[in-house]
Order: sequence, then C-alpha cells, then structure tokens
Amino acid sequence: MDVEWDVEETLTLDWMERQGEWGMQATPGKQGLTLADIQIGSYGDPPEFSDNMTGRPRGATARKDSYRIGDYSVRSKSEIWLDNASFLYEEALQRQWSSATDVPWDSIEPLPDDIEEAQCQLATFLTEVEFVAGDVPARWISRTTPDYFEPRNVLLAQVMDESRHMDVFRKRALANGGGLMQATGGTSGVVGSIDLARDFTEMSSRLHISGEGAVLTIFRMGELMAYNEAEKAIYRLCAQDEARHVAFGVMHMRYMAETAPERREEIECYLDEAERQILAGSQNPAGNQTASSEALAILLGGGRDNYDEGFRKLMAIRKRQLREYIKRVKSAGFGERFENGRSNLQGMMEASAA
Amino acid sequence: MGKTKAAPAGSEQAGEIPAPKLDWRGRSNQWGVRVKPGKHGLRLGDINVGIYGEVPDQWQDQTRNPRGAIPRRGVPPLGYSIRDKADLWAESAADLYEEAIQRRWAPATDIPWETVEPLSEDLERAICQVCTELCQYANCDIETISSWQHQMAYGYHEVKQYLATASFDAARHFEAFRKRALAGGGGLGLEGPGEVNRMILESRGGWTEAVTYLILLRGTFTLTLLRFLEQHAHNEAEATLYRYVLQDKGRQMTYGLEHLRFACAHKEDMKLILEQILFIGDRIFAREMKDHVLREALAVVFAGGVREAGTVGMAEYRRMMQAFMSAYLDACRWLGVQRDLERMPPSLRRYASGELPGEEG
Repeated sequence: MDVEWDVEETLTLDWMERQGEWGMQATPGKQGLTLADIQIGSYGDPPEFSDNMTGRPRGATARKDSYRIGDYSVRSKSEIWLDNASFLYEEALQRQWSSATDVPWDSIEPLPDDIEEAQCQLATFLTEVEFVAGDVPARWISRTTPDYFEPRNVLLAQVMDESRHMDVFRKRALANGGGLMQATGGTSGVVGSIDLARDFTEMSSRLHISGEGAVLTIFRMGELMAYNEAEKAIYRLCAQDEARHVAFGVMHMRYMAETAPERREEIECYLDEAERQILAGSQNPAGNQTASSEALAILLGGGRDNYDEGFRKLMAIRKRQLREYIKRVKSAGFGERFENGRSNLQGMMEASAA
Repeated sequence: MGKTKAAPAGSEQAGEIPAPKLDWRGRSNQWGVRVKPGKHGLRLGDINVGIYGEVPDQWQDQTRNPRGAIPRRGVPPLGYSIRDKADLWAESAADLYEEAIQRRWAPATDIPWETVEPLSEDLERAICQVCTELCQYANCDIETISSWQHQMAYGYHEVKQYLATASFDAARHFEAFRKRALAGGGGLGLEGPGEVNRMILESRGGWTEAVTYLILLRGTFTLTLLRFLEQHAHNEAEATLYRYVLQDKGRQMTYGLEHLRFACAHKEDMKLILEQILFIGDRIFAREMKDHVLREALAVVFAGGVREAGTVGMAEYRRMMQAFMSAYLDACRWLGVQRDLERMPPSLRRYASGELPGEEG
C-alpha cells in the first residue's frame, strides 16, 4: 500500500463553532454515572413535541441539510414519557441475569408425570406469550424519536428481558424428561390484542398493565407452584423483570393522565377492553378454563388428584390478580372507574369473596 | 376424575369447581427430553435436541407457536414476513446470545468515569463530536434492528433472541457515548450527515440487505474506528468504553457475516445481489466520508489536539481508512462477493489500491 502519509491537510474546524450547549460536567455518584446524572443543562430537557426527524441525539446541533429519515410516529412527550424511566433503565442493566448460569438446573429431579406435564404445558404457554412483549415494544422503539431515548431504552431492556423469559421457559420444558406441548394461540392478530394496538398508550395499557400485570402475579406466587430450586429461581428472577415492565406502564399512564387530560376518556376505553379480557382472555395463564389454568391448578394442588385444592388456590390467585390490577390502575390515576360504576371488577371481587 | 366435584365445564361461579377438560394432556410432539446443564450451564444451543433442534428451511406458521410445540389450528395469523431460514439464519446465533448475556456490562458502573480529566478544549470538542456521531450510529442500530425483529418468524427464535441482545447493546452504546460527551466539560456536537443511516434504514429489500449495510459496511467501519479510538484513548474511561463496545460489535459482526454467508450459500443470485447492493452502498458511504466533520474530529483526537491534526492526525486517519478497506474487502472475499476495485469510488479505492490519498473533497 502506497498511501502518502505526509500530505498535510488544512482543517477548517468550523464544526467546533456549531456544537451543542458547552461546559457540561456530569459527575458520577454512588451508583456510578447514571442516566439521571447526565440530565444537565438543556440535555436534561426533553421537548414536549419533537421535531427531530433525523435521528440526532437530543441536544446535538441539527444540520439544515440532513435527511428526514426518522419513521417517528411517537413525537409527543405525553405519548411515551414517564418520570422514572432513567431509574428503570439503570435498574434493568444492573439486574440482568443469565438463564444458563443463574438458574440451578442441577436441582431439578424427576417429577410425577402429571406434575411434569402440567409444568411443561405452563412452560409452553409462557414460551409462546413472553415474546409478545418482545415483538411489540420493538416495533414501537423504531417509531419513537430518540429525543425520548430514556423510555425507549427501558423498552429495549424489556425486549432483552422477554427474550430471556422465552428462553428460560423453553429450557425448563426440555430439562426434566418432558417436552413442549400444545400452543394455546393465546396471542393472535385480532382486534383488541396487544399486537394490533395503533397507539402506544393503548398498547402499553394492554401489555404492561393488564397482560404483564396478570403474569407478574403468577410469577410472584411461584413458590406455590415450584417443585425445585430451579423453578423458584426462574419465577423469582422473571418476577423482578416483569415488575419493571409493569412499573413502566403504570408510570407512563400516570404521566399521560396528568399531562394529556383530553385523552382520559380514550384511556378509560382501553381499560374497559382490558378488563373484559382479564379473566376471559387466553393471555392470562390463570384465565378461565384454559389449558394453562388447568395446568396451574394441578401444580398448585400438588397433582391431578388434588385438582380441587389446586383450583381453590388458583381462585385466590385470580383474586390477587384483580386486586393488584385495581391497585395499579388507581396508582396510574384512573381509580375513579372503580367508584363510579364504570368498572365491575370491584364487584366481581366482592362477589367471589362472599 | 379423581376427587373433582364435577360442575359443568365452563361455569366458574363462586364456590363451584368446574370439571377440568384436561384435553391438553398427552399432547407433545416429542416427550422424554432431559437436557442436562454442562460446564457453562444450560445454554440455548444445548436444548436443540431431537425435533426441538430441527430448524426448517421454511416456517409457514404465522403464530407464536414455539418450535417443536403442537400448533393450535385456526389461530389468526400475526403476519410474520420473514419465514425463510436463508433470510435471517446464522448458525452461531444461539451462542452469540448466551455470550452477550455473559459479557453484559453497565456504563454507569463498569466505566471508571472518575478517570476523565479535563482535556484541552479543542481535543474535548473533537471527542464530543466523535461521540455524537457514534451515538447516531447506535441509534441507527436500534431503529434498524427493532424495525425488523418483530417480522421474524418464531421458528427462528435463536436469531430473534440474539437480536434482542444486539439492540440492547446498541441502547447501551447510545447511552455510554452520550455520557462520555457530557462527562468531560463538553457537550454534544453537530449531528452527522445521515446519508448512510438513511441507506441502512431504508433497506426495503429484506433483512439480508439491511445486514449488508448495517453490519458488513457500517459495522466494519465502526469496528475499525473503535480500534483506533481505543489506541488513542485519553483516559482509562475512554479505553474501557471502546473495549466494551468493540466486544459487542464483534458479536454483531460475527452474526452479520455468518448470516450473509448462509444467505449466499442458500439463495440463488444472492452474491450478485450483494455485489449490486455494495456497488450502491460504497458510493453513498464514500459521499458521507467526504463530509469533513468526522474526519477532522478524528484527526484531532488521533493527534491529541489541533496542532498536529493536519499532519499526524490525518496520517493516522488514512491508516484507519486503509485498515477499514482491508477488513471490508477481506470480508467480501470471505463471502465470495466479487468486488471490482475499478468500479469503486476513487476516494475509497485509493485506500485499497495504494493510490495517493490527495485531497478528500
């Protein structure tokens, strides 16, 4: 190669005069240098509406001749923002885990056939549905302006989490003398499904608050249906991830309620839809009369012969799902619906307790 | 029915326990699988046993039926458009996925930010400019991968899962370069020209085309750039940051090249298509590289300031371009994609052919 190295080039350095706000000195704190630590000067000030169509980082100087390449439909802060996104993202980074090495797979011992079969049916269901929460947020990430990179990064962490969930339940199904069973088709392309939502908040209300909320309750009750340390670890670790995803949904809805009151009625409609499906839909593993709810009853009861006992525990889990859902919706600022007769979930809870 | 007090199936009023249907029991395509963890735990590739490890050339199922599970009939489709193995597969995807998880890092705590000391203003401005453009590269990774991932069929879950790690890596890169720009008394710079980003994001011909631009072309350039930046890091924080990102990008390069090789081996005309795509891509890349901003900023970083940037810095920049072209053409050769140097833009060809560099404009 004969490149002539010594040719001197005269530099213009004109770009040095066209940079963003200068003099930023973010300093690391006790938790290192977090996203919260770099919210300084104008860099910490996301716009209410983003006109950034070129994909530049927030605070960088725009070029007048840049291409409008961003396919961004999410350009209003209220559509995606939440106040604790930076915290959730940093926590997600710190709490990543490995399904290969952080689950004590050696602790799995052969189980009675009915239990193993139930475990594999539940694992098949969870393998099937967990990546809904991977596919769908991914689609929204690419449509969100980088001006709102904090919530976008939380969603990217979520896609990673869901990928691990899909994988850990597949591993469980194939680790103990069983196998995958029949898929439920619980997530499909029908109106009102998570996949088909055409608005981010609509999607988030179905995915984060209703769908993942229901699964979170199940994971939190994992101790009741785990038969070894490996399964306990799986449920515990998945619950930790799922709790972040649910928190995203609640905090986003709260932000939306506070900053875009004109959309309240529309959000109520999404919640109406979610509540109609919360126990009847097949996306809830504890839903009515599904393969996974029967499998859950067998696991909770300790076997096919104790189905009734397991079913009673399942009923208790459903109540807890409803209780936690109501709490989340109240926390998001939509609690009135449980007082003014719009929602009948409270009534369902009371009737089932009677 | 054991101890069950049978109530009509479907009625679940309080106090009643409906008779279970249990029609799901005994339904498995392959039962009796018992995969044991090995020295590295229970990895994704380890569970590719029996029918569960059979990856078909076409995956017609448009639902989320896990590979090897019994599909349920009549489920409305989700519209997965990438259903041919040749359109996304790389044999190493499962291993790359596990490696990405094992090698996870956090910019907040794994970078020794306290080692960032004040630099001369011109040098700080140059580093901030480079970080700004690297942020934009990461943004392009995020948007490209995220816009394709959900179109990939479930039968190839290893690739979907690897890509989840790749987009998460890119989120971390976006964050880490922003942190560097805001940690040393500077700020973000001028946005990049965006022409290559546009080319990558507008790849409409399929995921393979996107991989060609995102990984083979831009990825090779970014890897080379990071290697040179690591050699010219001005503190331990920068060196560590570049090393971590290099590690992540190395996995992306492995996936990309393996996928392209797989596509070339299994799709007629794919090599010719890649030749055409790269013919166009080279021109766009060359046009973007004529923009003086990144070139000058790198020259300042490599020279440690503006004083020798036009001489020492530019010489190092040319070495970097030469290293890039060498790696790029090697990768094309490995893929069996013919490149005609005579048809390459002169501003790139000279780094490959030994011609004099001359003026960049």
